[in-house]
Amino acid sequence: MARLQATWWQRKKYILHAVVLALPVWFIYQSLNPQFPALWQEQQAGEFKIAPMPLNEDAPYSHHNEYVKDFFIAFNQGDISNIRQAYLNIGKSPLPLAEFAKDEEGIMHGTNHGQHAHAIAPKTISADDKLWITIQTWQGQLHTLKWDIPSQFITQ
Amino acid sequence: MSKRLWFQLHGWFSLPVWVLFCFICVTGTVSVISHELTWLTNSEARANNPNDLPALGVDQVINSVEKAYPTADVMSVLTYEPYLVNAVIFTDTDKPYAVAYVNQYTGEVQAVNDTISFIEFMRTLHGWLFFPWQEGYSVGYYLVSAMAFVLLGALVTGLVIYKNFWRAFSQPKLRFNQGRKTFLKDLHTLSGVWSIWFMAVMALTGLWYLVQAIMWHNEIDIEEHAPLVAVSTLPADKQTPPTDLKAALAITKEKYPDFKPSYVMLPEHNRGMFNIMGSGDTIFYDNYAYSTSINPWTGEIAASKSPETMSGLLTLSHIADPLHYGNIGGLWTKVIWFIFGLILSGMSITGFMMYAAKLVNNKPVKARQSAPVNNVQEAN
Repeated sequence: MARLQATWWQRKKYILHAVVLALPVWFIYQSLNPQFPALWQEQQAGEFKIAPMPLNEDAPYSHHNEYVKDFFIAFNQGDISNIRQAYLNIGKSPLPLAEFAKDEEGIMHGTNHGQHAHAIAPKTISADDKLWITIQTWQGQLHTLKWDIPSQFITQ
Repeated sequence: MSKRLWFQLHGWFSLPVWVLFCFICVTGTVSVISHELTWLTNSEARANNPNDLPALGVDQVINSVEKAYPTADVMSVLTYEPYLVNAVIFTDTDKPYAVAYVNQYTGEVQAVNDTISFIEFMRTLHGWLFFPWQEGYSVGYYLVSAMAFVLLGALVTGLVIYKNFWRAFSQPKLRFNQGRKTFLKDLHTLSGVWSIWFMAVMALTGLWYLVQAIMWHNEIDIEEHAPLVAVSTLPADKQTPPTDLKAALAITKEKYPDFKPSYVMLPEHNRGMFNIMGSGDTIFYDNYAYSTSINPWTGEIAASKSPETMSGLLTLSHIADPLHYGNIGGLWTKVIWFIFGLILSGMSITGFMMYAAKLVNNKPVKARQSAPVNNVQEAN
C-alpha cells in the first residue's frame, strides 16, 4: 500500500461513518416512548362506545395488492365478545360484509382490552372519504359508524 | 491484478465501515448467547425445577396467568430452552402490553414486564439496529444484511493476498517479539484463516437475509399467510368454539409426533385460528419449522408446514437463523459461534489498527522526533 500522509482526513475518514451508530440510540428511545395521534371522537352503536385512533399520520400503505391504514380501536363501552365480525374501511361508503369476507384485510382483531385493524383504504385519501366501522353482533344486528377524516390525512 | 491492488481492494471492502461492521459483529456475538446471559443475570427468567417436575402444557401455562390476573387476555406464548421460563404475552385492564414469565414446571408467574426482553433487544439491535420498520422494509435491516458483501469481499480478497494461507492451519504463526506491526499482521491473518468457515457461513446467511428483505419489500411471500375461518362456517349464535388450545395442541402433536411448541398464537377474532409453531426432530431447522393452523370451530387442520413440505426458499428461511446464530447443536455450538464472533469482531479492529499504523509512519517530523526511539522503530 502506498505511504499515507497522516492528515486529519486520513486519520478520521474511516471513523466518520460511526456517527450512524447514534441513530440506534435515537430509535431505541423512540421505541420506548412511542407517540400516537389523538383518539378520534367517541361514537356509539348499540352497546358499543368506540373511539378509533390511527397508529400514525402516514398515508395508506400497500399490502398485497391493497392499500391499508392501521388503526387502534378503543372500546370504551360494550362487550367485545358479543361481536361476531367487525371490519374497518376508508372510502366513500362502507364495504359490504361479503366483500370483507373475501380476504383478511380490514378485520378487527385483538383482545378484550383493545382492538386493531388494517383498514382497507384508497391509495390517497380524499376530502369526501370517511372511516367506516361495520359491526355484526351474534344477535344479528348490523351497526355502521363513520368518522370524518382529519385534514392532515387528506392528500387530494 | 497486482497484489497491491488486491490489498487496496481488501481495505476498501472493510475499512470504510469497520466501526459499524464491528458493532454488528459484537451485537451478533452477544445475541448468540443472549439466552444464556438472560439465565445468568435475570433470576426471574430462570425456570428452576428442583423437584424434577414435567413441563406443563402451554394451555396450563396460560391458565396460570389467568389465575393470577383474572382479567388478562392472552395473545400468544413463547417457549425457549428448558432452563428459561415461558413468555406469555397478554393485555389487561391496566396493561396494554405485558409479558408474564411463567415457570413451566411449577406454574408460578415469576414476573410481569411491559417491555421487550434482553433476547429481543439484542436480536433487534443486531438485526436492524432498531431502525423503524416502514411498510415491509427497514433501512437498518438492509444496512446490516448488506454487510454480507463487506464480509464476502474481505474474505475473498484476503485469501488472494495471503497466498499459501493453509499454512496457518499447520504452522500457525503469532510473533509477539517483533513489534506491534508484525503482531497485528500475524493476529489478523491467523484469525482470518481460522475463521474462513465462519465468515463464509455469516456471509451466505447474510446474503439470504438481504434476499429475504428484498422479497418482503416487494411483497413477495416466502410463506403463505395463516388462513382465516370462512364466514359461512361461523355459527349463527354466540358460543364457545368447541376446539380449545389443549385440543389444538393435541391435534398438532398427532400430526407431528416429535413436535415441541415454541410459538403459539391464539385466535384474535372469530375468524382467527390457533397458529401453532414449533420444532421437531431435525437439526438444521429453526424452532418454527413445523406449524399448523387449527380451525377452532371444526378442529380441522386448515394449513400445516414441515421441512418435508417446504419449498426451497422456505427451507432457506428456516435454516438461516440456526446457522447464523449457532444454535444448531445447543450450548456447545453456541460457544463455538460466540468465540468466532469475538474473533471476527477483533479482526475489524486489528484491520483498522494496521491501517492506523501506516499513518504513524508518516507523522510530521516534529511528532516523530518527540516519540520514544523504540516506538518509531516498531512503527517502521
